[in-house]
Amino acid sequence: MTVKLMTGNEALAWGALHAGVKVVTGYPGTPSTGALTSLLKMGPEGVHVEWSVNEKVALEVASGAAWAGQRALCTMKMSGLNVCYDSLISVAYSGVLGALVVYVADDAGANAGMPEQDSRGFAIMADLPMLEPASADEVYRMTKTAFALSEEAGSPVFIRLVTANSDSFAPVALDDDPPAWPVREAVLTHDIDRFTKAGAAICMGQHRDLLARLEHAERWIADHGLNALTLGAKGGLGVVAAGITTAYLEEGFEIASQYGFEPEAASVLRVKAVHPFPVEQAQALLRHCDTILVLEELEAHLESALRVQAQRLGLSTRVVGKLDGPFERIGEYGVGHVVRGLAAALGLAIPADLFEGRATAESFAAGRPITVCAGCPHRGTFMAINKAVRRAGFKKNEVMVTGDIGCTILGMNPPFNTVWTEVSMGAATGLAQGYVHAGVPAPVIATVGDSTFYHAGIPALINAVQHQVPLTLVIMDNGWTSMTGMQVDPGTSEDYQEQGDRKLDLAQIVPVLGVEQFWVVDPFRVDEMAETLAAALALPGVKVLLARQECVMPALRRGHRAGRTSVVAGNCNLCRLCITVTGCPAITLGSEAIEIDAAVCYGCGLCTATCNRAALRSEATLEVAP
Amino acid sequence: MKGYDIYLVGVGGQGVLTIGEIIMSAAFRKGQPVNFYPTKGMAQRGGFVKAQLRIGRESAGASIPEKGADLVISTEVSETLKAVRYIKPGGDVVLFAYVWAPTAVMVGKAPYPAVETVAEQVAEAGASLTVIAPETLPSFEGAPVPDNIYTLGVAVANTRLGEVLDPADVEAFVRTRWKKGIERNLFALSAGLARA
Repeated sequence: MTVKLMTGNEALAWGALHAGVKVVTGYPGTPSTGALTSLLKMGPEGVHVEWSVNEKVALEVASGAAWAGQRALCTMKMSGLNVCYDSLISVAYSGVLGALVVYVADDAGANAGMPEQDSRGFAIMADLPMLEPASADEVYRMTKTAFALSEEAGSPVFIRLVTANSDSFAPVALDDDPPAWPVREAVLTHDIDRFTKAGAAICMGQHRDLLARLEHAERWIADHGLNALTLGAKGGLGVVAAGITTAYLEEGFEIASQYGFEPEAASVLRVKAVHPFPVEQAQALLRHCDTILVLEELEAHLESALRVQAQRLGLSTRVVGKLDGPFERIGEYGVGHVVRGLAAALGLAIPADLFEGRATAESFAAGRPITVCAGCPHRGTFMAINKAVRRAGFKKNEVMVTGDIGCTILGMNPPFNTVWTEVSMGAATGLAQGYVHAGVPAPVIATVGDSTFYHAGIPALINAVQHQVPLTLVIMDNGWTSMTGMQVDPGTSEDYQEQGDRKLDLAQIVPVLGVEQFWVVDPFRVDEMAETLAAALALPGVKVLLARQECVMPALRRGHRAGRTSVVAGNCNLCRLCITVTGCPAITLGSEAIEIDAAVCYGCGLCTATCNRAALRSEATLEVAP
Repeated sequence: MKGYDIYLVGVGGQGVLTIGEIIMSAAFRKGQPVNFYPTKGMAQRGGFVKAQLRIGRESAGASIPEKGADLVISTEVSETLKAVRYIKPGGDVVLFAYVWAPTAVMVGKAPYPAVETVAEQVAEAGASLTVIAPETLPSFEGAPVPDNIYTLGVAVANTRLGEVLDPADVEAFVRTRWKKGIERNLFALSAGLARA
């Protein structure tokens, strides 16, 4: 064994590798991204690893491999699970011949924005087993278990992490001699009763098979002891803890023992396979305990299932959780939940402020809305949109600008206040059409990033073209999937594509979708872009602007700078217009003039365009952005 | 020792997470159980960044409860306030008092807290505060040393972190972490360690 520090995501990557995975697909999404990134870095021989165009395609690629008898892994955040769920439910009905592990990372606490979706509900709806390890070390071991279970039960298997363990670093004991997996030949199985859905008899037969596989999985999980029940005093307290919350038990028990709790008297069911619900162990716990505390983040899935079992046994066990309080269905759990739960269940007197720090301090903190990086081309696009709206003769509050997922949404914040909405990948273009049909009299603008456009934006644009909806779409093409940490997308430069992959070009794709009014613009040339956009707003039909400049982060990593910007101090009267308009992190207030942090400035020149006293000077470098 | 918890706050780009990475690695070298939970959220450069380090517990969840942190390290004046609720009464706060003013503050549309306000809040929370004024940052070969490494050195020398970590392990990690500027970083660390 070699013990290494790594994140849960990296541990999952190692687990998949040591379980003989052959095909790995996924789409970047915080907090799941690190798993596939790790595998790409490792570059294991004979394993196909790819960032797919979206989660639905990713799942289909992985499913195809699993149907051909290989072991496959598909990774995504919870929002991505929604995208691929249509295919997943069908694949669940068919089962798999090899193994298919679907890794989904939820984000209780909404650290990265987006809904606090509890993906356990999807496992229940699809009748698929779901494993939920707590520590990074457990992630490594349970990923291997997930592949074994998938192959044994012939079923896709979920492995679910949350931000607190997917992004946490902790020691992981890696096997020194993982089994050498023999090369498997791909197999072809012609079986329309299993792999198609045309006909009620076929579908209902598959439904029956699906439930049988889940039952099989339940037995396997019980035989392999994935959910551990330890019984304490008869008639005492029972605790059911799911996944990540088990990590807080020991510490919580220790703290509560200072207030009269007796840890050895408690019975504990640690649930690491959250679906199917461990009925036998739950019933044993119900028969043994009078009161049961349930610790699970977000939805009350285990609690509800436990209450059903109590009803079946004719027991009126008291269950402490979310349905009758004290906990709510929002946010991450911590040790405070364990202690407060024990106190509620046992009537322990704990100080009211035991886990209540001085929250008022935060009210004195300066607001720090997130914004785009210094040198980010999106800054130019937001400035150009604001300018074009004025130039076209409209007030800002008359023109709807729908927003999309990724860094492009940062235009919602000051100083831009440009985009109004954020729904899901690719949604901006569909929403915009709805606003038009609703009768909004002013022009409607949609915005989207390149990766998001490839992911789910293209069908929406096709819809707009077919129905000839008058709107203007601005595609902010920075060549990368940036918000999640600069992953390669279909439009990324050939220099960064994987061996044998090729780059696609949105400038060629958009016109062939039937878009007749199409312009490629440079967001660093705000005036020109604003002029083009203002003219486009006045035209009928579908108009698309492709605003093109590379994401500043990878450009900086290559040592590239767009130019050099300097302050002509004598001309600056500290009017702060450059700060108000750009909000660029490279600009600060000096005592006599504004100052530019040369280490941070990318030389994009956007600030120069705002100054009407010639106090800023930008010179483009000779290098040209690729 | 039952466990030692550290809450780190600052602004993206200040090297806050690097402080956490160094502490994590030094604790691991010493054979201590450790969990390091960085949260960047959506923050690119210039956004709020926090990280939680839990050292010395065999089984520990990633999150530190309110009033649970033995030590808070902050690299930005205002962001310190977001960590105050996590400070354990009797704990330590080490603040590198850099001001990274948000746009609204720079254009005079929003207030920014004084260091005294932070000091009051920390005192109300029952913790002791060590403030490092940015202008006191020592220089190495004519340029100020990296403030994050210096601040870590100050924390090791002036709080119980010094009992948890072996400065030699910190130094050993700093030697291997970067290819360039090793001498500069080691100087920053030793200057921080020497600051009482």
